[in-house]
Amino acid sequence: MKHGQKRFIFTFLFIPVLIYLVFVAVPYVTSMAVAFTKWRGLSLNITFNGLNNFIKLFNDENFWGALSHNGIALIVLPLVIITISLFFAFLFTQGIKGNGFFRIAFFFPQVMSAIIVGVLWSFVYHPTIGMLNGLLGMLGVSSMKSFPWLGDPSTVYGAILAVTVWQAVGFYMVLFITGMESIPPHFYEAAKLDGASSIVMFIQITIPMLWEAIRTAIVFLALAAMDMYAIVMIMTNGSGGASRAADVVPRYMWEAAFSNGEWGYATAMALVLMLIILVLSIISLRFTRRETLEF
Amino acid sequence: MLDKKRISRRTFIKSSMLIGGAAALAACGAPAVAPTVAPAATAVPAATTASAAKLDLPFPVDAAAADPFKLDVTVPVDGQFFSGGFGDEYIRYAAKIQEMVHPGLKVNVTPLQKVQETLQPRFVGGNPPDVIDNSGAGMFKTVDLVNDGQLLELTELFEAPSLDTPGKKFKETLFPGSQVSGCVFNGKQYGVNIAYTVSGIWWSKTLADKNGWKYPETWDDMLAFCETLKKDGKLAPWTYQGKYPYYMWGIVWQQLLYKAGGNDVVLKIDNLEPNAWSDPAVLRATEAIYALWDKKYIMDGTAGLTHTESQAEWLKNKAAFIPCGTWLENEMKTVTPKDFNMVMGGIPGFKDGKGDQKGVMADGGETFVVPAKAKNTKGGMEYLRAILSKSSAKWFAENVSSMMPVAGATEGAKVSDGMKSALAVVATAGNAIINVQIANYYSKISKELEVRTGELLTGKSKPADFLKAMQKIADDVAKDPDTPKQKHVI
Repeated sequence: MKHGQKRFIFTFLFIPVLIYLVFVAVPYVTSMAVAFTKWRGLSLNITFNGLNNFIKLFNDENFWGALSHNGIALIVLPLVIITISLFFAFLFTQGIKGNGFFRIAFFFPQVMSAIIVGVLWSFVYHPTIGMLNGLLGMLGVSSMKSFPWLGDPSTVYGAILAVTVWQAVGFYMVLFITGMESIPPHFYEAAKLDGASSIVMFIQITIPMLWEAIRTAIVFLALAAMDMYAIVMIMTNGSGGASRAADVVPRYMWEAAFSNGEWGYATAMALVLMLIILVLSIISLRFTRRETLEF
Repeated sequence: MLDKKRISRRTFIKSSMLIGGAAALAACGAPAVAPTVAPAATAVPAATTASAAKLDLPFPVDAAAADPFKLDVTVPVDGQFFSGGFGDEYIRYAAKIQEMVHPGLKVNVTPLQKVQETLQPRFVGGNPPDVIDNSGAGMFKTVDLVNDGQLLELTELFEAPSLDTPGKKFKETLFPGSQVSGCVFNGKQYGVNIAYTVSGIWWSKTLADKNGWKYPETWDDMLAFCETLKKDGKLAPWTYQGKYPYYMWGIVWQQLLYKAGGNDVVLKIDNLEPNAWSDPAVLRATEAIYALWDKKYIMDGTAGLTHTESQAEWLKNKAAFIPCGTWLENEMKTVTPKDFNMVMGGIPGFKDGKGDQKGVMADGGETFVVPAKAKNTKGGMEYLRAILSKSSAKWFAENVSSMMPVAGATEGAKVSDGMKSALAVVATAGNAIINVQIANYYSKISKELEVRTGELLTGKSKPADFLKAMQKIADDVAKDPDTPKQKHVI
């Protein structure tokens, strides 16, 4: 690199970096300090609270409940979504008739916002006029007549997770389809000559060749599992569900700040959540690292 | 959430239905009152005439009542108001009255939606507005503002003379008990409620008359009547606002609590006394609502419905009873069948209960506050005097079809059948106005009530579990050094 070039890059980067520091980095760091205070968020009346917020958090059953729901999503979402979207991606690269239509139909939920999806599905789950209970009734399941899917603690979170899966599958399907279509066909031809079955080819060729895309999907979905705020807010009407059975940490954080006026406590929760996400990202990136094949 | 949450939901929902109507009303809503600038308004005669060109003051003002706070008319009033189901014309109407009473004064009205989000930076920055309508889905928790020392105590306003009820103090013109809920903390007045609501159990008078039903007098009668309805099988006896169990604990359970144990038990609960929740009266009230589930009186699927959905089912005669406040009529206006005449009854009590069995929850919502650090707190207080004037209340009754808690304001105004039935319950109750404040004091306890009542009414827990869980959260809050404590005195 020539000497002048360095200065050139520096002058171009100086302003964006400064803006980033002032408006993003500094507020982030200072807001972390709020986690160690008692603050109602209404005045500059802030008192130092030491580690009390974190001790309280450790003893807060509602927080652990919410975190465990994020934990369930962390396992369920990547596993189910990646499996289903791999299956569909495989199906729609087999030259089936009308697969263009299916690709669009499956991708469609992705372009709708979580709010719309949440409202739509709330109607599907509606106890009396809902499509789900209507279908079950047609199938002759009379015990489920007027069952309140979103009002019962044993079903509310499952119902919400199903919606999340429904919404996300299309996106990852398209991601995997693109990956699959860029795998050179001669790999499959060679394998076929050696007598490999389609399942073997899928496991031995497709998945390794797709690994970068799958890895991206795992990281994205892990992050999404730690959030879930919008969909839970909408589908539980802001309450976290009957018996808090669908509560997630970001929603509980919102409750602590906006509804209980405990901004210090909410910030402590945010800090803990951030650390968890940081560790998760590192883990998911480390443990999914494989050698990639250049072709 | 608090008592206020239902206001927020109802105003939020209503806003979608009503804003159009309110705007239409506003067009013809400029008060068609004959110029009645009476000679009594001698305090500001010249100036009153000057402003008379804009809008004539619709009532005379006593010299003594014209300017109790000694306003500086050169300082404009900065008013920030939630604009929901009631619209914002009534807010502007009060501002106009204030401007006319104080010629030269400018009252700036800013309607807004998300009160907390919009105004929080101003509080933190130390320059809050002079008066706020703190309502709606995004309102501040009043108790948080109080705990942070952000609200002005309103004794001066309450002791001031009323604007247009000669010879009476401001506080004497307001309905008894209407200015407690969400307004009084540690015995001090920090806000005024401008919308009057009575809460009870609703049913269809049409249906009752047709079948010759009599409204039950005690809770035992209620259960017995539910049993006959259930056996009859034509409609479910009860429903409630499923996803928002607030209506069951906030309206039914709290009133049953008072009827079973009287104010002694209410105060024990509100003041977080140890073992308050093991009082037999608490168990009695809890078992009373649990019986509705236990005996299968609650409409199937209720738990999965929102407030408007369950109310719509009730309007279709799928269930006989539903708990609600007087906003119900307005909220469901567009979907109420013509032949559905809804009326409210009090909560049936207990023959041997310790509280006044005629008691009723008749309080207010839509709380207006004056920030303590505002530049023009006097202007803010004067605005509150204007909005709760008889003239403003009458305008409200006629144009928003709701009631302000102002004595004599509905004289000659058209009152709906539902409101009439509610006012009849209040008239029977006399001074027995029920005020349970614990949910207004402690957000966490109101959340727990929400969760546990939901479990109780879906059979996920028993009354004993409910009491245990509530005692635990009450003890937690009592122990928590970060939560300032309130003292409820009656």
